[in-house]
Amino acid sequence: MSSSSQREQALSLLAAANNHGDLAVKLSSLKQAKDIIIISSIDDDFSLFADQLFPYLVQLQSSHHSLVRKTLIEVVEDISLKTMEHSPVLMPVLLTLLNDDDSVVARHSIVAGTHIFCSVLEELALQFHRHGFVERWLEEMWSWMLKFKDAVSRIALEARPVGPRLLAIKFLEICVLLFMPDNDSRGHIAEVPKSSQVFNISWLAGGHPVLDSIALQSEANRSFMILLDLLRLASGHPGCITISVVNSLATIGRRRQVHYSSVLSALLDFDANLISKGAHTPSIQYSLRTAFLGFLRSTHPVIMESREKLLKVLRAMNAGDAADQVMRQVDKMIRNGERAARDARASKDEQPSSHMLKRSTPMDQEHIVSSDSSSKRSRYGSIIQSESGQNHSVNGVSTKAQPLANGLTPVEQMIAMIGALLAEGERGAESLEILISQIHPDLLADIVVTNMKHLPKNPPLLTTVTRQNGPPTSSSLGAPTMPNHVLTNTISSELPTTASSTNLQPDLKRESRRDPRRLDPRRGALPGGTSSEHIMEDFTTSAQPGLAESDVDMSALFKRQPPPPPVLSSAENASEIVMPKAETESHDPENITFSLELVPDEQATQVGADMEFNIVSDVATPPIDYVNKELNAEKSTDIVMTDEEHSLSFMDDDQLSPCTVDTPVLEETSVELPVVPSYVELTEKQQKDIRKLAIKRIIDSYKQLRGAEFMQTRMALLSRLVAQVDADDDVIMMIQKHIVSDYQDQKGHELVMHVLYHLHALKMSDSSEDSSVAFVYEKFLLGVAKCLLDVLPANDKSFSRLFSEAPFLPESAFKLLDDICCSDNNCGKDIRDGDRVHQGLGSLWSLILGRPNNRQAFLDIALRCAVHPKDDIRSKAIRLVANKLYVIEIISEKIEDFATNKLLSAVNKPVSEAEQRTEGQIGSQETSISGSQISEPGTSNIDPATGSQSDSQSDSSMSPALAQQHLSLFFALCIKKPSLLQLVFDRYDYAPKAVKQAIHRHVPILIRALGPSYKDLLKIISDPPQGSENLLTLVMQVMCEGTTPSADLVVTVKRLYETKLKDATILIPILSTFTKNEVLPIFPRLVQLPLDKFQTALAHILQGSAHMGPALTPAEVLVAIHDISPEKDGVPLKKVMDACSACFEQRTVFTQQVLAKALNQMVDQTPLPLLFMRTVIQAIDAFPKLVDFVMELLSKLVSKQVWRMPKLWVGFLKCISQTQPHSFRVLLQLPSPQLEGALNKYGSLRGPLAAYANQPSIKASLPRSTLQALGLASEPQLQQQNHAASFNNPDKSAKVQGT
Amino acid sequence: MRLRYAVVCSSNQNRSMEAHFLLKREGFDVCSYGTGTHVKLPGPSLREPNVYEFGTPYKQMFDDLRRKDPELYKRNGILPMLKRNLAVKTAPQRWQENGPDGQFDVVFTFEEKVFDVVVEDLHNRVQVLLKPVLVINLEVKDNHEEAAVGARQTLTLCQEREAIDRWEDVIDDVISTFERQHRRKVVYTISFY
Repeated sequence: MSSSSQREQALSLLAAANNHGDLAVKLSSLKQAKDIIIISSIDDDFSLFADQLFPYLVQLQSSHHSLVRKTLIEVVEDISLKTMEHSPVLMPVLLTLLNDDDSVVARHSIVAGTHIFCSVLEELALQFHRHGFVERWLEEMWSWMLKFKDAVSRIALEARPVGPRLLAIKFLEICVLLFMPDNDSRGHIAEVPKSSQVFNISWLAGGHPVLDSIALQSEANRSFMILLDLLRLASGHPGCITISVVNSLATIGRRRQVHYSSVLSALLDFDANLISKGAHTPSIQYSLRTAFLGFLRSTHPVIMESREKLLKVLRAMNAGDAADQVMRQVDKMIRNGERAARDARASKDEQPSSHMLKRSTPMDQEHIVSSDSSSKRSRYGSIIQSESGQNHSVNGVSTKAQPLANGLTPVEQMIAMIGALLAEGERGAESLEILISQIHPDLLADIVVTNMKHLPKNPPLLTTVTRQNGPPTSSSLGAPTMPNHVLTNTISSELPTTASSTNLQPDLKRESRRDPRRLDPRRGALPGGTSSEHIMEDFTTSAQPGLAESDVDMSALFKRQPPPPPVLSSAENASEIVMPKAETESHDPENITFSLELVPDEQATQVGADMEFNIVSDVATPPIDYVNKELNAEKSTDIVMTDEEHSLSFMDDDQLSPCTVDTPVLEETSVELPVVPSYVELTEKQQKDIRKLAIKRIIDSYKQLRGAEFMQTRMALLSRLVAQVDADDDVIMMIQKHIVSDYQDQKGHELVMHVLYHLHALKMSDSSEDSSVAFVYEKFLLGVAKCLLDVLPANDKSFSRLFSEAPFLPESAFKLLDDICCSDNNCGKDIRDGDRVHQGLGSLWSLILGRPNNRQAFLDIALRCAVHPKDDIRSKAIRLVANKLYVIEIISEKIEDFATNKLLSAVNKPVSEAEQRTEGQIGSQETSISGSQISEPGTSNIDPATGSQSDSQSDSSMSPALAQQHLSLFFALCIKKPSLLQLVFDRYDYAPKAVKQAIHRHVPILIRALGPSYKDLLKIISDPPQGSENLLTLVMQVMCEGTTPSADLVVTVKRLYETKLKDATILIPILSTFTKNEVLPIFPRLVQLPLDKFQTALAHILQGSAHMGPALTPAEVLVAIHDISPEKDGVPLKKVMDACSACFEQRTVFTQQVLAKALNQMVDQTPLPLLFMRTVIQAIDAFPKLVDFVMELLSKLVSKQVWRMPKLWVGFLKCISQTQPHSFRVLLQLPSPQLEGALNKYGSLRGPLAAYANQPSIKASLPRSTLQALGLASEPQLQQQNHAASFNNPDKSAKVQGT
Repeated sequence: MRLRYAVVCSSNQNRSMEAHFLLKREGFDVCSYGTGTHVKLPGPSLREPNVYEFGTPYKQMFDDLRRKDPELYKRNGILPMLKRNLAVKTAPQRWQENGPDGQFDVVFTFEEKVFDVVVEDLHNRVQVLLKPVLVINLEVKDNHEEAAVGARQTLTLCQEREAIDRWEDVIDDVISTFERQHRRKVVYTISFY
């Protein structure tokens, strides 16, 4: 079809679409017209055609069929993407329809616009790259696109149908992703290759006439802010908007870590209360959860840092399980990555042997280059090769033919396969990509190495390409000692300049600005990672000096390309000069070249990027910021530093192949090697700075290298560097921080040990530097220790382990320990809370066990804690000392001595005069021992509970708390070794009051702790020292408390009582075991005791033991009391009376019946007990119901002629008097003289008695004499007599009452 | 254009297949998937599940289990389930590998874990089309009875979805109402193709 007829057809179709009545016709016409337009777009005169046609298309935007408008959008999209040059005129359609009433149309226009947007952006960048300028139409398109962007941003914020807004939000997300540099693709290997947007902001790094990367980034920030605003204003939006915003922010956070922290805080701050009414809250919350889980999946270091926080939040959301699962997955991923790296290294290690074999035979240079370079080096090449593979193999088809004939090795088979795929061209590219991604890195490396045979033979010149900061190239080649890697340095830094393709170059600058180690590919070796990553790992692992010859070769290769075209570039960006386009055009067809067109697959690009990155990391250039800071310093600083770092690693890394291997090759291959940097003498300060820098880099590298790789090397490096930096605070702080942060994995500990041992070794070996090394050592050790204390929880064992395993502990370490455990000068701080003390003490324990040399020092600290004024510290320390340390034989004696000293010092505390007095006492007692002298006054006044003995000598200088403080340890030891108690007993008497109180407080605890095994105690009891009765009693009390005293104890105490100590008090606790026969002899002694003690004794007696029953019944007790004869037993009558009263007080025990029984027994005794009548009177007072019983008793007494017992007689009469009128009958039984006497005494009785006797029934039975006495016979006479008697005897009655 | 639905559970056997079966019978355009690494079916004990690769035909599993212990697997409903499944489609499919199946408008998952996997997977895919996809999680216990209930409720949701034009505007209401009516926890999110 000719173009003109096409045009006409399209015009008529568009007219139909505009005007036809049938919707279906309109739509199909429109689509057909689109097809024609696209087909004819390749025509030369298309622009004319477009000018004619497009206005009709634009007209369609006002069609009132939404379907037409929707289709129009699709058409515009298709046309714009195909013929962008002509489509600016169509863009208004897009903008208009963004605001279409039909949300479907609006939605479509956003989608279409987004696609066009991406495409324009990409074209803009590429056009400039290819042609060095940007055409006007493209600029125009871009200005439309900016309008589009603004319009869509508005849509996101406006209240509209939700559908378009969702897309607008998505568009904002895309904008952010497009405009923000993806400055760390390593962490997201899985995501980057999938990224649909081919455009990369980094393409603009060389400057762009239209696109300004700074401006774009600020655009991105604006979009990002809109998203954040949307989240903040969630209350005004439907739920699904909020969900979308959360999702978009999460995506941004994961892919552009620059924004991660703000995303995270925005999401964390998101307030569920803000959610609008109608929104589905659980879903919004779940979207947050999903976002956090997504972050958790990321292995990017920035995100990894917040893992703890994320976990916490997720747990709070009840998503702990899910979070844990994700963590497991991620950890597994990282482990797999490490394993792959290990495997790769292992297989690499096998190679050198064959390598050496080959080397021994003379070979031509080509061979050396191709197969003989060690795999370490060849990996490096491999990457480039794999990238260039297509081109190269195409060139070298012939090489594949040969091995096909013979038996093929796997490598050759692979090469053949790759070749075959390449031969298929475009079609094979995809398969090739898959194939390469599946190949094991080692195999891939071998393939490349094998294929290197076909590299051009003649090593081209190394032209002088200077690095931005690399003047060293200008220095002489001389210095044969110059390590090769310095050369490598220079070369490899140049490599990307020439070797990398299209988008790679700008990366160099960007990458090198950051610490390369942070980007270690290992981290990124996700399951989705491609083989190229593995290669890179290998490369890094083998990143050793000595890459020289292959490096030279490779770089030489690239140098053959013509010098880059002079494209505008700043001095800083020297490395970005080469433009891909230029390269493609200018390269020699024979050479290996890279071009965008030829390497379309992302895979290769990726590989390239990795390569470059690793080279940079290997070179170990200092961060730019450092360079800037150190502008004054020599520019070669970095290289020398690298040198140092490497040479240090030389010493330790046994994987290293010897340098000598490389040297001949070096000479052979590159005779005309240019310029190596000269050796630069550095000033002290520079050296220091460089060391510092080196340390910093190594430490940073930890963040990336999770596995054990280089662990040893890094440790060795660090330890040496630390030794060299002297005691620089910054450095030590830095290392400390690192160590502590890593401590959990135990790697920190290893590192510290490494450093410490190194320093120690230095100190031992080098006496001249002794002081400074020792200083560093001390500072380092203490710094780390303090850090550990500050950072790690108190139950962490790291601190104790550190001190236990350190080679040597300086004085200050002891002080630190002392501070932790028992210094009280910083009580205000809460650092020294209980846990800390516990930690300190725990450390002490392990140190005492593990460091015999310093044992005494640690023990001293522990012991000092054991007498610490603070209760909790002391009790903890005592537990440690008594339970754990005291059992250790070698130190138990020391502990004992210490405790004893403390005890003695407490006892003798008032050193001044009190002590003297005590000593004087001791002396006097030694000379004149008299047990009674001490026990008598002592015991009588002692209150056993409080021990308030009359301690006149107790000095107030010893507070109870202080006494407690000094004694606690000793008593704790006593539990372990009861025989120590002897000392307490011995010293008890001399102890001041406060100490005694302390002892009294401790003893019960001690005795209870000792339990039944108190053999030693028995021994002490059997022979108590002078003055310890009080204590003894207390001990006895506690021992017998609640249990039946053991037979041993009883025997011991009895013997003691019988032989030495005539104090019945000590018997009280064991009284319950006594039989009646045993109690009765000592009963007077018991009565003699102070009343309260007697009461206790009484209780024991009445209680008895479980199997024997009470020794005495209450009645027997009463009888026993009454049996006591003051004269014979030497008990004051008063005591006996008190005892009686004590019995009467216990009315529940000494009941009416008991009294009756006892009295009944006693009345039959001859002689009657002295206090009998008194008791009778008390009994009748207490129990009036006993009156009849008492009357019988009185009758009995009458029959016993009670009047013959003067003391009783008085009582008898009193009783009669008190019990009238019941007693009249008894009274009348008295013989008349006695009756008369009685009536004389109690005159008041006479009247009632006479009345009573006068009753006829009674009067008849009375003898005459009685009647006479009553005056019933001869009354007046009798009355007189009576009066006389009552006057004669007033004293007597008083006396009776008194008794 | 007809809406496309996906129903996803862990092994693409019980819950998703029940829903698949029902939705298919009701004339919906539906696919079903599992997100696990393997297809797991209960075995003689908890520790000995029957594990198959995705892609193993239901028929093959059916034969395998019938050979192993027909009584057991009939009793625990596995054989009937497989029989139902093989009438619906050939073999269990894995969600993560469903790229070629095209885009869905609505994805139903029946377990939070599965929901998480689906959402994460969608996030990791290339999102160029800007075609929104509604992902709904309906918590359904993995047994035959619950699966049947879950499938019916999924059908309800599908019917409601079909009834509305601009789902974005009303999705909150639809979900909330559904939750109230069926007393069931539902969570949704929006992703893009």
